[in-house]
Amino acid sequence: MLSPVELITPSGGPLQPSTPTLPICGSLPDKQMPSQLEGAMDALIAVFYNYSGHDGDKYKLNKGELKQLLHTELTDFLTSQKDPLLVEKIMSDLDSNKDNEVDFNEFVVLVAALTVACNDFFQEQNKKTTK
Amino acid sequence: MPSELETAMESLILVFHRYASREGRYGTLNRRELRELMENELSNFLRSQQDPAAVDRIMKDLDTNSDGQVDFEEFVSLVVGLSIACERCYQLRMKNATKK
Repeated sequence: MLSPVELITPSGGPLQPSTPTLPICGSLPDKQMPSQLEGAMDALIAVFYNYSGHDGDKYKLNKGELKQLLHTELTDFLTSQKDPLLVEKIMSDLDSNKDNEVDFNEFVVLVAALTVACNDFFQEQNKKTTK
Repeated sequence: MPSELETAMESLILVFHRYASREGRYGTLNRRELRELMENELSNFLRSQQDPAAVDRIMKDLDTNSDGQVDFEEFVSLVVGLSIACERCYQLRMKNATKK
């Protein structure tokens, strides 16, 4: 899958009609580069769609797709938890409407929680090194 | 090598701290820092609001504990909201593209 920036052709011209551009980068004026924050938000969507499109409903992650996403994109997090049932528990926690699928709204909550945890760790480390 | 998702998560942290460390309390955004962040990182979103008081309104929404500062968790809720809105548009466009 092309990165958000690669989806914008070098000439800034129109993209292949069958491939919708990612929401943020695709709506920028010609030749405008996305900001780092815009790129990150596009990446969250791109990653989700990389896995959700494999089987069944292509706008949602089934358990197999979620497992693949977690193993590939969050390998360190999974291995640090050392719980073989972790993926099941995560699926159960995220699937708030209990349809056995995780949609983007439910997925982004996981990403948000993990990012907050990483930031807390980062700030703690910073406090220790500045003492 | 970090994965694409890890890189995106790291970017959220880096962007936040780039602006939060400019003045006052390290680790939180005051109003001016939030404005600078939004003007530099979310300029298109801000422009689409067509409201000169948008930053003040957003600050008020994000600052859930009303301490005049936006901490990382409060900032992430903005990112989550914007990402969900963008994904909704994207999904609509995908569905329309496959209908044709």
